[in-house]
Amino acid sequence: MLHRSAALPGLAWAAIACAGSLLPVSGFADDQDVRDYRSHIMKTMGEQLAALDQITKGKAPAGDVLAQAEVLSITAGLAKLAFTPKVEGGRAKPEVWREWDDFSKRLDEMAAAAADLASAAKQGGVAAVTPKLGSLSCKGCHDVYREPKK
Amino acid sequence: MMFVKKAAAVTLGLTLLLPVAGHTDDKDVIAYRQHIMKSLEHQTAALGQILSGAGPAENTLAHMETLALTASIALKSFEAKVPGGAAKPEVWSNWADFSKRMKEFAEKSAEMAKVGREQGVDQAAMLVIEALPCKGCHDDYRNEKS
Repeated sequence: MLHRSAALPGLAWAAIACAGSLLPVSGFADDQDVRDYRSHIMKTMGEQLAALDQITKGKAPAGDVLAQAEVLSITAGLAKLAFTPKVEGGRAKPEVWREWDDFSKRLDEMAAAAADLASAAKQGGVAAVTPKLGSLSCKGCHDVYREPKK
Repeated sequence: MMFVKKAAAVTLGLTLLLPVAGHTDDKDVIAYRQHIMKSLEHQTAALGQILSGAGPAENTLAHMETLALTASIALKSFEAKVPGGAAKPEVWSNWADFSKRMKEFAEKSAEMAKVGREQGVDQAAMLVIEALPCKGCHDDYRNEKS
């Protein structure tokens, strides 16, 4: 377990607030921390998928495909843990926890598909990634478990 | 020898002026680098939560790895001289400084992830400030969010 006091010297931890605001210093038990953290995970995946979409359409450098796919795969592997605390709010619908078996199964499938995508990128580059990108369609899960933007 | 130097200078100039292969238009260039920078922003914020005791510590190394991977491709996304988005024109008018900072960012975040893998995340966390100098660069090269 990493403790803040051991991780960073003095008040230096504050300087890492690259996102533009200082983050609260409290345990994960704080509900807003839970919502913020899972939001960062999901938004990271959103950016990664958008970047990969550009790459497969020839609108971004093909040479980036492996790095982008690996970031997606690693992040997808963290998503279930981010939703494990039952803390409603943000854009997550209450159904996430009410239908946890289905939701967590879908997250597992997404993580497996992302790992498969990264493996394809390593072996075959963009040509191998393109046909697999569709298996990571977010919409099916978002339709059921995510609130629309307000 | 003189010819070689001139040829190298011309090649470098063309590299900076021509669109990076793979982008079809300026909008694509801006969109792509924004995806990279926003992903970095969320990854950094997630790691920041963890290091301030507000996120799951078991994910520390994973975030360090993704930051290093994304940092390794960030500079390339700015090579095409396409002003716009939140990037200030100084990115390209001060290219030598900007690219030096981005290379250092890539090198130091890679070192952070390596230390995390080999010596543990407590040691790697000591390198976070040096590895993620986002604010200094943003102050000089990014427009304020509107």
